[in-house]
Amino acid sequence: MIQVGKKAPDFTADAYHKGKFVSETLSDHLGKWVVLCFYPGDFTFV
Amino acid sequence: MSTDSVFVHKMWNDNELSKMVKGGVPFPMLSDAGASVGTLYGIYDAEAGVDTRGRFIIDPDGVVQGFEVLMPPVGRNVSESLRQIQAFQLVRKTKGKEVTPSGWKPGKQTLKPGPGLVGKVWEVWKTSMAFD
Repeated sequence: MIQVGKKAPDFTADAYHKGKFVSETLSDHLGKWVVLCFYPGDFTFV
Repeated sequence: MSTDSVFVHKMWNDNELSKMVKGGVPFPMLSDAGASVGTLYGIYDAEAGVDTRGRFIIDPDGVVQGFEVLMPPVGRNVSESLRQIQAFQLVRKTKGKEVTPSGWKPGKQTLKPGPGLVGKVWEVWKTSMAFD
């Protein structure tokens, strides 16, 4: 369970970024602010 | 991040989103194929088979400062997310010496917690400021 004030669980995931397939690891972004957004699916309307 | 593959992300970005945003999506579109990350963050709807609209603000130490979770039919307010990040950045910069009351936006008055402010918030902050 996620709690404010507690560490965000680390993960690695495949990603598409500016024409390339890359791998992203949350902890690689330590030192920066991160917004992690989930959404139900590509091509959905909202 | 959604449960779609990176291949579907590419199709969506190249064929639709790039028509809305010049140059396409500027940030990485992550694939949560298998839903392990959505499950880890508690926002995966196993019945529907999708990640719901979870949004997490994570600070430079990797600590969750805030989150919001919405059902799929209602979209987010990006300005409100940015406002929250700016507020958390201000609190971090002042090491908590300044805090942001309801309705705060950049440039507006902060509060400086301490013995002198106890019972005196009503003198410096009005309820109308919550709706500015």
